[in-house]
Amino acid sequence: MSELVQILDGNTFVVSDDRGDIEASRTDPTGLFSFDTRFLSRWVLTVDGERLNPLSVDDLQYFETRFFLVPGTGTVYIDSKLSVIRQRAVGDGFHEELTILNHDGKAVSLVVRLDAACDFADLFEVKDALQKKGRYYTRRSGRQLVLGYERETFRRETTITASARATVDEDGLTFKVRVPAHGSWTTDLDVVTAHGAGGTYVRPKYTRGEHRARPSMEVSLERWVAGAPSLECDSDPLRATYRRSLVDLAALRFSPPIASGRSLPAAGLPWFMTMFGRDSIFTSLQALPFTPELAATTLRALGSWQGSRVDDFRDEDPGRILHEMRYGEMTAFEERPHSPYYGCADATPLYVVLLDEYERWTGDRALVRELEYEARAALDWIDEYADLLGTGYIWYRRRNAKTGLENQCWKDSWDSISYRDGRLPGFPRATCELQGYAYDAKVRGARLARSVWKDEPLAVQLEREAAELKRRFNRDFWVEDGEYFALALDPEGRQVDCLASNNGHLLWSGIVDKSKAAAVAGHLLGGKLFSGWGVRTLAEGEARYNPIGYHVGTVWPFDNSFIAWGLRRYGFKEEAAEIAAGILDAAEVFEGRLPEAFGGYPRTQTTYPVRYPTACSPQAWSTGAPLLFLRTMLGLEPHGEHLVVDPALPRGLGHVELLDIPGRWGRIDAFGRGRVEVRATQGRRRI
Amino acid sequence: MIRAHGASPRLAQNENPGVADSAAHFFDGLASRGHEPLLAKASGTLRFELVDGRKTERWFVEVRKGDIAVSRRNAPADCVVRGERALFERIAQGRQNATAALLRGALEVEGTVGLLVLFQKLLPGPPRSRARKRRP
Repeated sequence: MSELVQILDGNTFVVSDDRGDIEASRTDPTGLFSFDTRFLSRWVLTVDGERLNPLSVDDLQYFETRFFLVPGTGTVYIDSKLSVIRQRAVGDGFHEELTILNHDGKAVSLVVRLDAACDFADLFEVKDALQKKGRYYTRRSGRQLVLGYERETFRRETTITASARATVDEDGLTFKVRVPAHGSWTTDLDVVTAHGAGGTYVRPKYTRGEHRARPSMEVSLERWVAGAPSLECDSDPLRATYRRSLVDLAALRFSPPIASGRSLPAAGLPWFMTMFGRDSIFTSLQALPFTPELAATTLRALGSWQGSRVDDFRDEDPGRILHEMRYGEMTAFEERPHSPYYGCADATPLYVVLLDEYERWTGDRALVRELEYEARAALDWIDEYADLLGTGYIWYRRRNAKTGLENQCWKDSWDSISYRDGRLPGFPRATCELQGYAYDAKVRGARLARSVWKDEPLAVQLEREAAELKRRFNRDFWVEDGEYFALALDPEGRQVDCLASNNGHLLWSGIVDKSKAAAVAGHLLGGKLFSGWGVRTLAEGEARYNPIGYHVGTVWPFDNSFIAWGLRRYGFKEEAAEIAAGILDAAEVFEGRLPEAFGGYPRTQTTYPVRYPTACSPQAWSTGAPLLFLRTMLGLEPHGEHLVVDPALPRGLGHVELLDIPGRWGRIDAFGRGRVEVRATQGRRRI
Repeated sequence: MIRAHGASPRLAQNENPGVADSAAHFFDGLASRGHEPLLAKASGTLRFELVDGRKTERWFVEVRKGDIAVSRRNAPADCVVRGERALFERIAQGRQNATAALLRGALEVEGTVGLLVLFQKLLPGPPRSRARKRRP
């Protein structure tokens, strides 16, 4: 298969082959997608009945690309008198400029054909290969073709309009073209997506000759990048990774409909261009020192969708922060619970963590007051709704047994939580990192209660609860003979005794007793967990360990960024730098764009990081990882009205300056020089 | 309870209003709440249009920072929500999710959609849903 090309604007995106063609099968993620629905599944260009051959693809900008093509395929030698250029910009559908250049001294007559069709698949159907229940229709008029799908009151339409004269049939558009000697012919093709019945026709966002990004949000790409701190450093790869991260993060922002036009980070392309509680919160935390406004919009949007009732189908409780929102047909007909779905156990405590961290950086107390009700409801949820066994821990067990999520923690695949011997525990489950987040939420909630809400009794209560939780946790989860924290407790309260990367999140939350921290850090940097590139999700040697298992052996850059933050929190600066160095080396191989996950193979064995087969890219929290690593390596920590800088950088990075870091101090610069000797770089090889 | 102030007690188990005229029951109940903290950030007006054949029943809801007033006025509103009366009945009983109905095109909305996002928090959950809620 030829390489796929992706361009996007908010949650509208196009995935095509390197000719610009789309030939989707039911289970294949190519096409034009918008709001979780495929609006074009076939878009194939031929000239005189022949497919075209790609010469090059220019990724102009994240929303725009250009394909250089020549007629004819399958030949080794290309000597064409014709060139074909397709330039495409996505936004409210897409705008495509098709140009044919005649390099010959004679005029030429051609039949140019665009096949168009659409299956209107819901993204869930693309993933699970399900059958449609509604009816398809087409309409033709002049230079316009409308492809439609209807099921009861649900309607989706794709309108294709050509600027040049065309013959339209229900399978596409045909142009009879005469191109003069050394001349050209061109047409615009506007492909517009519409939701609902009787919608008025709108134009695509971009028109001919328009190449300036107009993201669907308040801040343009240029202002977004210019507004973030600037990075000056000796390391070219680090500079490139930083720039890539900022641009990708800008592209991943989107304004969810039915959410007052606010924008927040979506989770990833192509499957996850939507609002996710967990992903949006983690990404906002990573980006806080760089673009704090992401956190504010995330907190507001998630707050306005906060759970308010008991709904088993959606696993909703009062105070619970949503897991995932979807807009497609299956959600609309309640064949899937994502309207929104609330089945995650971590986003709710993390909501309070983000609110507090945001205030520590920005000093924006107004937002803490504005979201007091939501934060209190989230704190309430921890004790009132999440403690399913009444043991003082967050437990999860889905109430939607058919389409709900079994594992409601970030490692949400079916086999992620196991005992060392590979058995899977029953439900409910209490994974360890959830208890860390709950602890942190209570500690931070107490700070907000005291300093902003002026509620001393609540602050005292939360501090007492946090202290009790910490004491209990260090007793119940500590695996004595292994000297690490168990992955979870099973319904009988026994330890699910795998060694996993979750230990790093425990350091980040602060729930770990100081006396245990060195042993935990030792495991994280030890041979069973640390691959040389990063910390594996599950330790080598555990029964279910698999270096390319989604949550049972791969290395996740996002996971590692929080692990490094956790190590710093407990004073393990050099260990944090070691992890940062490994992941940033991997980023260099991936040209600055870290995938969601890569293989857990030892670095010495593969010498380059092996991309996980179906990983999403760009993925928001992978995009945010280099940002958090910068914070961690420079040792940036708000302290009252000041920013403390305490660098511990890997030697290979040389000199690093992060200028104009925004916060309650105004703007401040941070400097550091690489002095930490890291082991990983010894086996390093440039690709 | 952590929530020391500014909170209404919530039900761990959903209300199951009579089936006869659930929508009226719901809007009447809304009027008697007076102040609703879930809407403390909302100010604006919503008009609900319940279409039943040729008849349209209208409910006009005015929200001022959580203070709610309900009437049957037919007046311009910031957000207008329209749908079949039977659909509204099911929504008011918790048997139909409003957001899904909106995505399906069964509910139509014009104007400030954000108001409806906040307002839908007041709608009941399914009658048979049960969460485990710790008893204080």
